[in-house]
Amino acid sequence: MVDTGNLKSLTASISAVTSPFRTYLNELYDRYKSLQEGRVADYIPELSLADPNWFGMCIVTTDGQVFEVGNCDQLFTIQSIAKAFVYGMALEDHGRNLVGARVSVEPTGEAFNSIVLDDKTNRPYNPMVNAGAIATTDLIKGKNATERLKRILDMFQRYTGRELNVSMPVFLSEKATGNRNRAMAYLMLNFGMVTERVEETLDLYFQQCSILVNAKDLAMMAVTLANGGKNPITGEQAIDERYVQDVISVMLTCGMYDYSGEWIYRVGIPAKSGVGGGITAVVPKKLGIGTFSPPLDEKGNSLRGIKVCEALSQDFGLHLFNMAKPDRVLEDWLHGSAVDSW
Amino acid sequence: MPKVVSIHSYRGGTGKSNFTANLAASIALHGYRVGIVDTDVPSPGIHNLFGLEPEAMHQTLNHYLWGETSIEEVAYDVGGNVGLTGDGQLLLVPASVKADDIARILKDGYDVKLLNDGFRQLVKGLSLDYLFIDTHPGLSKETFLSIAISHVLILLLRPDKQDYQGTAVTVDVARQLKVRNMLLAVNKTHSKLNLQALRQKVEETYNIPVAGIFPLSEDVVQLASEGIFCLKYQDHPISQEFKKVALKIMEIA
Repeated sequence: MVDTGNLKSLTASISAVTSPFRTYLNELYDRYKSLQEGRVADYIPELSLADPNWFGMCIVTTDGQVFEVGNCDQLFTIQSIAKAFVYGMALEDHGRNLVGARVSVEPTGEAFNSIVLDDKTNRPYNPMVNAGAIATTDLIKGKNATERLKRILDMFQRYTGRELNVSMPVFLSEKATGNRNRAMAYLMLNFGMVTERVEETLDLYFQQCSILVNAKDLAMMAVTLANGGKNPITGEQAIDERYVQDVISVMLTCGMYDYSGEWIYRVGIPAKSGVGGGITAVVPKKLGIGTFSPPLDEKGNSLRGIKVCEALSQDFGLHLFNMAKPDRVLEDWLHGSAVDSW
Repeated sequence: MPKVVSIHSYRGGTGKSNFTANLAASIALHGYRVGIVDTDVPSPGIHNLFGLEPEAMHQTLNHYLWGETSIEEVAYDVGGNVGLTGDGQLLLVPASVKADDIARILKDGYDVKLLNDGFRQLVKGLSLDYLFIDTHPGLSKETFLSIAISHVLILLLRPDKQDYQGTAVTVDVARQLKVRNMLLAVNKTHSKLNLQALRQKVEETYNIPVAGIFPLSEDVVQLASEGIFCLKYQDHPISQEFKKVALKIMEIA
């Protein structure tokens, strides 16, 4: 008999339904659903249309269990979350030395849209601020704009396991209002940190920010990194495993804008957020977290998303440097049966 | 702690609903609060045994799955209908027998998570001691779910080749789902069969204990699908066999 893994995959999906971990996530959802703080991003009209009540969280484990609670199919734009993954692609295209010459990996403590370059080297501080992301986007290979965008979309498809699209209205709005980013790009051109195809690169940058994803996609992207670059559901390698550590490192130090220091201290899970309301968070070798909720705090991070990651980190001891015995043992909660606590 | 018991057979016509109703009643006779959910949404029927008329079933499991009601509200107290005595209770969640309702649930499907959460809510909300799940024959998502959450899975089969083969498939699935306890029950055996030899053969085939063997009974057939046999004829050998299976379940769960 040929075993194609169908029974195993159906069994995994049922065990996710009956797992106590799903009950736990449902309780988290109920706890934070009513949170009424924060503001939906409104620097372009398309983002302000988001419903502040939207709230979804998805967790995928490296052994392929999928947990979804709330609005996990609702699409929104990926925004800054794309930066981490495009950085990974730039590393694959050129290697560490060249990429490192164009963009540093120092956290800035400055806002994401600050126009600051390193005094001595003229490099942007890190790939997670806009300037750094534009510099890494410039490095994406391809003979023309179409091919470069296609390569980026194909990369995201390897992570998520489904075909993604760019939201045309968001892209056009980003492009129309993106003068600050344009200024940064030209400043970097002046210093020779980006190439002459600067308008094409800016378009590519605005397009990658406008890719439509959902909470499940963000969890798939995170778990793929957690799993050494290999999507645990499709088995496809999304990124060369050698560069997984680079991507996760910059997420850890710079992923949550100028909240990153506090984030490492309190949550200790490498993560990247976007002003669309998404957060993708990587617990290496264990799981990926994807959350979506549009209301943001003053630093631009999704409020409910932060709460969910904080709770998961504390309750299951997922902080990278946690040494104490956690309140709950992840394995037991993932693979146990909720029925025993009925 | 409340216990979940699923009754399943690979093929139809094994007498699954009858078996479930009688076993649930035998346990209720010990003074327990017993819930029964008819998850056989494509071909519901167990409500007949509990004397619940379709006209009295205003809302059903289907309505819960469509988000129109809570699951406790579609649980009907049927102990009185079938002459249950003592402190026990029988609470039935029927599935709709209306063709349109069946068509809707087959067409649109439903979220299996909702069924799981419904079972949980029912057990908690009604303080059940036992939850019995009457399943649709064959394998489906709800079968997988009910096997996964069961403390005891009872596989009902008739002594013929097709049932033997199908049961082996279900046993594989149940083991993959790490089922806690599995029991077999053989139904509709010919009266001339050597029951001891049959038991031995079935137990050896699956390496699972046989909890009970039920000969094809004129008496049960006569009662057809109305009423609960072992409540009406408590001293009948068939009722005694159910009592034995009930004791075994109360022992392990």
